[in-house]
Amino acid sequence: MKSIVILSGKGGVGKSSIAGSLAVAFSKDKKIVCADCDVDASNLSLLFSLSTDKYVEWKPLSTNQIAIVDEDKCIRCGKCINTCYFNALKFKENIPKINKFGCEGCGACELICPANAISLQDIENAYIGYAKTNYGFSIASAQLLPGNSGSGKVVSEVRKKGNEISKNADLIIIDAAAGIGCPVIASVTGNDYAIIVTEPTPSGFSDMKKALDIVNHFGIKRGIIINKFDLNIKYSEKIESFAKKNNIIIIDKIPFDKSFVKAMTEMIPIIDYDIRYTKIFNNIKEKIQIEMIK
Amino acid sequence: MVEIIAITGGKGGTGKSTVATALAYELSKDNKVLLVDADVDCPNDHLILNIKRNHLKIIEQRIPDFDLDKCTKGGACGKVCKTNAIVSIQGKNPIFMQNQCNGCGACEIICPSRAISWASKDIGKIYSGKKDNLDFLSGELKTNQPISEFIVNHLNEEIEKNKEKYDYIIIDTAAGTHCPVIAALENADKVLAVTEPTPLGAHDLEIILQLLDKLKKKGGIILNRSDIGVKKIIESLASKYKTKIIFEIPYSKEIVDSYSKGNPITITDITFVVNK
Repeated sequence: MKSIVILSGKGGVGKSSIAGSLAVAFSKDKKIVCADCDVDASNLSLLFSLSTDKYVEWKPLSTNQIAIVDEDKCIRCGKCINTCYFNALKFKENIPKINKFGCEGCGACELICPANAISLQDIENAYIGYAKTNYGFSIASAQLLPGNSGSGKVVSEVRKKGNEISKNADLIIIDAAAGIGCPVIASVTGNDYAIIVTEPTPSGFSDMKKALDIVNHFGIKRGIIINKFDLNIKYSEKIESFAKKNNIIIIDKIPFDKSFVKAMTEMIPIIDYDIRYTKIFNNIKEKIQIEMIK
Repeated sequence: MVEIIAITGGKGGTGKSTVATALAYELSKDNKVLLVDADVDCPNDHLILNIKRNHLKIIEQRIPDFDLDKCTKGGACGKVCKTNAIVSIQGKNPIFMQNQCNGCGACEIICPSRAISWASKDIGKIYSGKKDNLDFLSGELKTNQPISEFIVNHLNEEIEKNKEKYDYIIIDTAAGTHCPVIAALENADKVLAVTEPTPLGAHDLEIILQLLDKLKKKGGIILNRSDIGVKKIIESLASKYKTKIIFEIPYSKEIVDSYSKGNPITITDITFVVNK
């Protein structure tokens, strides 16, 4: 199975809209599956009118642990508090209390405790599952529960889930989160191709370069899509000349179009909402296929 | 007394930074204001306000330093490492992937031969800057470093040290709801969630509102591009979570143009949100 990841650094540039419609284009002649790896705010399936109540499967997931203090065994030595690199432990009424928003579940406190008073407990930090679209392919996705950590590990689970639900798929399309931190790194590693979506704004350009750093770090073939390119044609040209200088192809430039918002509001992929986009996304698909085998 | 207001929203691209910069700049005309860009993965506020950032400090994180002469190659360090930064096979030297290390220290504690001491790696920077009367702080994670919230924690320390100097501190958070966002919300007196009236905006807003309930933070909703989409879905969320849409920003070609040209953005009456 081949894999393509879509990322951008900056949020709201059109990652999910592009991922969704590209998936539809690919699904015409390939067996594909999608993985929504924006587990903080998973909404790729919403573009297909699939809220979680319509999922084939949606169940709790635990990828995290949290430290628990046994107050009877605790000798109040404070070693755990001094050891915690994340400042997640503090004395409260003479007992070490865990701040569950800060605990990384690393287990250093458990190892240092001379009284065996600390243990690690699994916690359910997300929901994971999948939905089937009207186009025949499935979307694996997960939602991190508010206030929980461990999004990187949840991302890995979503990718696994994608592979699991479509065992003989030709292609997996991965929609990454905004940013460049741990969940994005977990989405990018090990892909065959990366699409970096950007927009012609100083923020879009700056964040695109960061996304590119991550992709380069893993040595993945990549191309750029400039979305809303006509918002500032001069800036688009700046991005194009940057790409040329760095030997990166511009897969396509998509004009600003309020239809994107309308399609999103009606929860239909733009490729099916507006006939003009069939050609656009087929072109994008073909270009990527050529680039991937180069 | 300083008031700390965090601007967040869940979904990316809803206008968090636009609102944060416009609000902070407008308030700074009559008040002492600090704007903190806590979207450390992709900080953009300095680009929007055209601020030249000055380097304030380098943020380091500790990483283990293996003394291979002392190492007895038992493999214990790899077994306790939850982030898979250490791969150790019995009888072989441990392999360390520093990018994955969060500095927790479990390996040092477990090592039977005291072969691990501490070194450090750069994970990012904090910058300061100024736009007219507005003071500015910005954190930036180095690419390929995973732990964004360490940088946010350092920004929080700076806020704590300097907060008495200000009437308002505006914190601009990252998209999403994970660790760096939670860290950025920690000190806020009030949290404003910027969203757009689309099903995706609503979905992500709901997660943020659940998070705010958990963190026991109060605030309100700012509805951006309020005239494109379906406002009803945001209104029903607001009433479900007993909060309010306190401000609406209609779609504006001027805002989009200013944004794409890198010009500061003015939003009429934005300071209204402070007293709401």
